[in-house]
Amino acid sequence: MLAHSLFFYFFSTVAVFASIMVTVSRNTVYSVFFLILVFISISILFIMIGAEFLGMIMLIVYVGAVAILFLFVVMMLNITEQITKRPIRKGFINNISVGSIVGVIIFLELLVAVGGWKYKGTFVSLSDINLNLAISNTHALGNVLYTDYIHLFQISGMILLVAMIGAITLTFSKRENIKRQSYFNQIQREKDSAVSLVEVESGKGVKLDD
Amino acid sequence: MQTIVYILPELFLSAAIMFLLMLGVFIKKSFKLVSLLTILSLVFAIALILNQPNEIIKIFNESYIIDRLSIFMKVLTLSFCCFVLLSSKDYVKSNNIDKIEYPIIILASTLGMILMIGAYDLIIFYLGLELQSLCLYILASFKREDEKSTEAGLKYFVLSALASGLLLYGCSLIYGFTGSTNFEIISANLDEANMGAVFGIVFIIVGLAFKVSAVPFHMWTPDVYEGSPTSVTSFFALVPKIAALSVFIRFMYVPFINVISQWQSIIIFLSIASMILGAVAAIGQSNIKRLMAYSSIGHMGYALAGIAAGTNSGIQSTIIYLVIYLVMNLGAFGCIFMMKRENIFYEDINELSGLSKNHPMLALSFLIILFSLAGIPPLAGFFAKFYVFMAVIEVKMYALAVIGLVTTVVSAFYYLRIIKIIYFDKPKRPFAKSYDWGLKISLILSSILVLIYFIYPSILVDAVSSILIY
Repeated sequence: MLAHSLFFYFFSTVAVFASIMVTVSRNTVYSVFFLILVFISISILFIMIGAEFLGMIMLIVYVGAVAILFLFVVMMLNITEQITKRPIRKGFINNISVGSIVGVIIFLELLVAVGGWKYKGTFVSLSDINLNLAISNTHALGNVLYTDYIHLFQISGMILLVAMIGAITLTFSKRENIKRQSYFNQIQREKDSAVSLVEVESGKGVKLDD
Repeated sequence: MQTIVYILPELFLSAAIMFLLMLGVFIKKSFKLVSLLTILSLVFAIALILNQPNEIIKIFNESYIIDRLSIFMKVLTLSFCCFVLLSSKDYVKSNNIDKIEYPIIILASTLGMILMIGAYDLIIFYLGLELQSLCLYILASFKREDEKSTEAGLKYFVLSALASGLLLYGCSLIYGFTGSTNFEIISANLDEANMGAVFGIVFIIVGLAFKVSAVPFHMWTPDVYEGSPTSVTSFFALVPKIAALSVFIRFMYVPFINVISQWQSIIIFLSIASMILGAVAAIGQSNIKRLMAYSSIGHMGYALAGIAAGTNSGIQSTIIYLVIYLVMNLGAFGCIFMMKRENIFYEDINELSGLSKNHPMLALSFLIILFSLAGIPPLAGFFAKFYVFMAVIEVKMYALAVIGLVTTVVSAFYYLRIIKIIYFDKPKRPFAKSYDWGLKISLILSSILVLIYFIYPSILVDAVSSILIY
């Protein structure tokens, strides 16, 4: 139990620290890396409360896909001007009032939501729900996903296939005049076809074929 | 195992999509082969559907239904998808959109529509809807070097995503207030006192009205119809309407039937607004695709009038209207595909001027189809409107019928204007001769069907009269 709380406090602290660093870090690339750290710590917290499926999805989707996408976007931006001698990021002071108001509102909403849920008269406790505790989360999900909802699962797969075809159709273009690597042709070349001796007149130069 | 037999058409279509995709990737320049196989697999799927038993079957925990309505609508969807592919072959080829993905995406969207038609549960309905609209976004922007096509795709994507969001919000409200996503349980738990669920119905109607492009959710229609390649426009004007109207009927008459007094006035409003806008806004159009867009908005108004009646004969009149609308529009788009000179397809109405001198047969079939669209007896379009008005008058909604009649007269103006241009204006250079047999067959078939419908109207009426919802 002690180890459990130790792990919990450790990863929660890391998550809170990292999420603060996401906002205050001067280098945008560092921000994204801190974001990845937040995702990882949160996913570990999920695993600790027994929601291992959610934790793994968090790792795969957020860290594996979303954060990497962010990283690509950030790397495409021109961020040289942002990394200056200023101690905190530009616009931090101007926007802090609005930001903190929004933060307080969200905190209050959370309080209302959690309070209304926790202290509800007809609160359903975990023991009242007919859960099979012997099997894991993933197992329980799989049990319904591949039996009762197999048709929905397959249709979702079809939708993803169409999305893939669509993305490729709308963006892929075959470009001409590109020199591609071809080992076979490159090794097959002989001296006669590749090298030629040219007498260069002075002041004229040689025109290379493009 | 028993269930597998009932979803064979859907399974076959999914397998065909994956097989054709692989075929297209591994065989270079295989557009012709892939589109031919697409048409063949659609025909085979029709055969599989017709082979299904003639009784009501609910599978997958009652979330998917096979009954007369779904079988009829599925066959309609697949066969008109075939005709659209056949008639647009030439257009696709000359506009450089003959990539293997084109027929495959059409096939995938047809799969989505079939799932929508059979849906008996909110989740499977939503997944089918998303599958088909995702395909439609791609199709709208398929000619991606063309600015208008890209704009059409983006516009349709943004607006349709919004409509899907509203629809999903409605679904969540319905689920929250009735406790189930299954249509029958929703129907059992829904009554006038259940305000939250009635609120959800409004959002679902908004989403569905967007899909059938009923006023006031029609804004995307003219732009998307004009911007997309014409082959895609003809697909848009025909096939998704079947699925959307079928779902409309299913939603109104299965889960929401208990609160008919709540949704009836909404549908009447949608119907009247669509009829009026379809009649008035098309008058000033000079682009024939835009004109067809407004015309389809108007026609959807008439189809919705049948749903608003709230009786079995109302639904049947809507279905008959839909079938005749599809045949007429297939012919109209066939004529638009013929407007071609030196590999360029024209869309301006004035290009048609004096068509009767150069192409008397084409002009004649255009004449028949336009008269039918205007609802002039004894052509099929007249009967379509006749059945709808009969059903509406039966339940004593005289105002709806009168407004429908007035808008029919108004909308006849712009159809007659095209006929005047074709027959009485100065001839322009002739169009290129078409050697595309698929296009010719669709055009001839639709003109003849429209022309001779009055001889034996009971074929369609009998086929539809077995579709009873409640």
